[in-house]
Amino acid sequence: MATFERMTRWSLAVLAALGVVALGLAAIVKVLSVQAQELSPGKTGGPSVSLVSAPLPSIARGEPGSVDLRFHIASGYHINSNQPSEEFMIPTALHMDATTDIVIGKIYYPDGQSVAFDFAPDQKLSVYSGTFTVGVTVRPLHTVPPGKYAMRGALKYQACDNRACYPPKQLPVEFEVRVIKAPAAHGHRPAQSPHAHT
Amino acid sequence: MKRTFLVLVAILAGVSLMIFAAKKIKPSEANNSIGALRGAPAPDFALKTLDGKTLKLSDLRGKAVLVNFWATWCAPCKIETPWIVDLQNQYGGQGLQVVGVSMDDESDTEDVKKFATEMHMNYPVLRGTEDVGNSYGGLEFLPTTYFVGRDGNVTGRVLGLKGRGDMEDNVKKALATKDSTTQTAQK
Repeated sequence: MATFERMTRWSLAVLAALGVVALGLAAIVKVLSVQAQELSPGKTGGPSVSLVSAPLPSIARGEPGSVDLRFHIASGYHINSNQPSEEFMIPTALHMDATTDIVIGKIYYPDGQSVAFDFAPDQKLSVYSGTFTVGVTVRPLHTVPPGKYAMRGALKYQACDNRACYPPKQLPVEFEVRVIKAPAAHGHRPAQSPHAHT
Repeated sequence: MKRTFLVLVAILAGVSLMIFAAKKIKPSEANNSIGALRGAPAPDFALKTLDGKTLKLSDLRGKAVLVNFWATWCAPCKIETPWIVDLQNQYGGQGLQVVGVSMDDESDTEDVKKFATEMHMNYPVLRGTEDVGNSYGGLEFLPTTYFVGRDGNVTGRVLGLKGRGDMEDNVKKALATKDSTTQTAQK
């Protein structure tokens, strides 16, 4: 009988303990969730833009080639396009470091999506969201030995969500270009098109 | 029986500690360092206005202060600026002082001046610094607005763009505070 009573007492104590611990945990969760709500609209970690793919193009020496860099913007955020529709907006722009072997040519940006946001339903902004591709024209010099070459630069962007904007950021960008020998010249030139300009 | 009682007391003490710890978790540990300022003295700053004068927050003691952190590149800031201009007009006579703190790069002063003129900002516009931003929780995003009571304590904040009503409610709350130092001095 004494053993039964002792077991009952212990069971009650353990149950009470579990209940109180659950209460304690609930209190912690509540405090954290309130703080997380207050943090809105800034989702933890803030907006992120990442380089998701950069193919390794083979480009002949002395010839221009293009590299398509595909970027991804985290869900819920947008960044200004390269041609923002509003004054003072910071355009998305890729700046490549100058190299001695490969000339960086024109950089091509996609058109922005024209979108109206909750904070200004009557005003459309030119933005990128989801994924977008930037094309970089490169031309290896005639004198460059064949091989792989690393190209470095940074994508400057400024992100917003539906209620707030985040300070401008620079995403380091790096990709490689495989330089190959120019195809051997043919023994004779093809007949010139009558439409070709000289 | 005695042992059970002791166990229960120990558990209760443990849980009390957990609850205490939960309440004391610093906002920075929950990725939110901004909330730590609520009820605390507003971090003082002395910043340059667009015409080169220096404005110190603590010099505004006795007034309710709306400190609006913004930037020219922030589209939501542009939306709420007319509300803030209205609030200054409406509540200025009751002791509200709006202070705009631009977080644009130092080199963008001309843009800031142009923006302030275009938006008819009827309050001092200051050039913010990283240090001041850090003292107000790091300003992860803009707009971020703090409301300071007449006693110099933070009474509220609005993160990101909300409604004009949120701003106004906070202004009223800040205006309802009393400057205890002035009252003590008067006695």
